[in-house]
Amino acid sequence: MELFSEHLKKEHLLSKIDARIKLIVVFTLLVMVLSYKGISFPLIIAILCLFLCLMMRVPFRVVILRFSEPMFIASVLLLLKFFFSGEEALFSINILGLKIVGHKDGLIEGLKISSRIIGAVSLLAVLGFATPFTEFMAGLSWFKVPKPFVELLMLTYRYIFVLFEDAGVIYNAQRNRLGYSGIKKGLRSFGTLTGALIIRAFEHSQKTSLAMLQRGYTGDMPMLRQRPFKTAEVTTAILFVFVMGIIWKI
Amino acid sequence: MTIQDLRFKLQRFRLLTSTLHPSPFTLHLPPFTLTLAALAISTLFPEKSYAMHISEGILPLNWAALWFAVAMPFVAYGIWRLKTVSKTDLSFKPLVGLMAAAVFIISCMPIPVPTAGTSSHPCGTAISGILVGPTISILISAVALLIQALFLAHGGLSTWGANIVSMGVIGSFAGYGVFKLMRGVKLNLTISAFFAGLLADWATYLTTSVELASGIRGDAPFMPLVTKIIIAFIPTQLPLGILEGFITAGMVSLLLKKRPDLLVRFGVIKAGEVKV
Repeated sequence: MELFSEHLKKEHLLSKIDARIKLIVVFTLLVMVLSYKGISFPLIIAILCLFLCLMMRVPFRVVILRFSEPMFIASVLLLLKFFFSGEEALFSINILGLKIVGHKDGLIEGLKISSRIIGAVSLLAVLGFATPFTEFMAGLSWFKVPKPFVELLMLTYRYIFVLFEDAGVIYNAQRNRLGYSGIKKGLRSFGTLTGALIIRAFEHSQKTSLAMLQRGYTGDMPMLRQRPFKTAEVTTAILFVFVMGIIWKI
Repeated sequence: MTIQDLRFKLQRFRLLTSTLHPSPFTLHLPPFTLTLAALAISTLFPEKSYAMHISEGILPLNWAALWFAVAMPFVAYGIWRLKTVSKTDLSFKPLVGLMAAAVFIISCMPIPVPTAGTSSHPCGTAISGILVGPTISILISAVALLIQALFLAHGGLSTWGANIVSMGVIGSFAGYGVFKLMRGVKLNLTISAFFAGLLADWATYLTTSVELASGIRGDAPFMPLVTKIIIAFIPTQLPLGILEGFITAGMVSLLLKKRPDLLVRFGVIKAGEVKV
C-alpha cells in the first residue's frame, strides 16, 4: 500500500509553507469549487493543481493512480446525466432495441458535476502530496480540532503500516496453502484474515499502552509546536486566494 | 498473472456475455438501461471500485454542509465517550486507534464481486460496531475516512460528513442493532454476526444512494433518482453485502475460537458463554 504523502519531496516550495496556511487556502478554494455554478473555475483549479503536482516531482504514474478513481466516477456521472436526465434531446440511437437519448441539458449538468469532482480532487491531491502527516496533525490541533481526535488519528496512522504488514504475512501464508482456491475457501480465509487483524490490533494496543505508560503517558500525547506565521507566506496566500476569488466571481 | 487474476478475468467475461442476454425479469425493470450501463462501465474498467465512498466534489456545498452537520454530533459524542473512558482506562485510546487502523485496512481490501466482475471493499463498520459499540465505531469510521480521503483519494474532505453518516452512523448502528436484536432472541453468535454484516452493508448503500441522489439530482425529481441509483448499485452491492456478512461471521467465529476473552472484554458475550 502506498500513501500518497510518501511522495513528498522536501526541497520544493510547497513543502516549506506552513501546513496551517495550506489548509486554509485549500479549504477556501474547495468552498469556491463546490459553490461554483459553471465548469471553467474547477478546471482552472485542476490544471493549476496538476502543474503543482508535476512541480513537486510527484511521479506521473502516482498522479494518474490518484486521479483514476475520481475520473472514473466523474465519467460515469457524466454518462448517467447525459443519457438519463434532461429534456432537450441532442441525439438518439437504437442499440439492441433500446432507444438511447443523449440530452443537451443533461450533458451540461454532467459536465458541471464532473468538473467539480476533478477540481476538488486536485486540491486534495496537492494537499496530500505537499503536507507530511505530522504537520497536518499539528495544523489540525492549531485549528482547535479536539485533541482526542487528533491523537486517535496519529495512533491510527502509525499502526496502519504495522497492521498492513501483518495482513500481508497472513495473506501470503493463506495463499501458499491454497486458502483462496475457491469462493467458499476464499471467504473463510478472508474472514480469518480480518479476524486475525482484529486480534493483532488488540495485541498491539496492549503492547503500545504498556510502552506508553512506561514512558510517562498520562492520557495526553504531545503535539508538534507551531512556529509563528511568516508575513511573506500569509501575504502570498491572501493574494493568491484574492486572485482566485476574482476568477471565481467572473 | 495469478490463478485468481485469471479466474476474475473469466468471471468478468462470463458476466459481460450474460449481460448481453438478460433475463426476462430484468427487462421488465424500467431503469434496466441504467443498470446495464453501470454494469458495462464497471466491466470495461478492470480497476477495483470504491463505490462505498462518495468521492470529493460530488456533493454541492449546501448538501456537503448538511451531511457534515448531521455527522458532527455523533462524532462529538464519540469523542466525549473516548475522553471519558480514557480517564479510567489509559489503554482505551490506543485500542480504539488500533481498531481504526484495522478498519482502515479492512475497508481498503478488495474483495471480488463475481456478479459484476469487479472488486469492491467491505465497510468493516459492523465488526467495530459489534466490538466497541456504535458511538466509538462512528469515531473509528471518521478517523479511517479522513486518512483515506487525504492520502488515498477514497472519499473526500467535503464528502467526509456524508461518508461518516452512511458508513459510520448508519453502518455502525445497523450492525450493532441487528446483532443485539438477534442475540436478544437467542440466535447463534455467528448467524447474528452474519446478519449484522449483511444489513450494515446494505443500510450503508441505501444511505449512500440517498446522499448521492441529493448531490447529483439538479432539477430532477428526488425519489426516482434514488431508486435508479439503488438499482445501479444492486449488481455489486447485493452480493457484496452477503460477502460482508460471511466475512463478519468469519471474524466473530475466529475471535470466539482463538480469543474468547476479547469478546468477553468487549461485552459481546458473557464469561459463562465461553466453552472451555
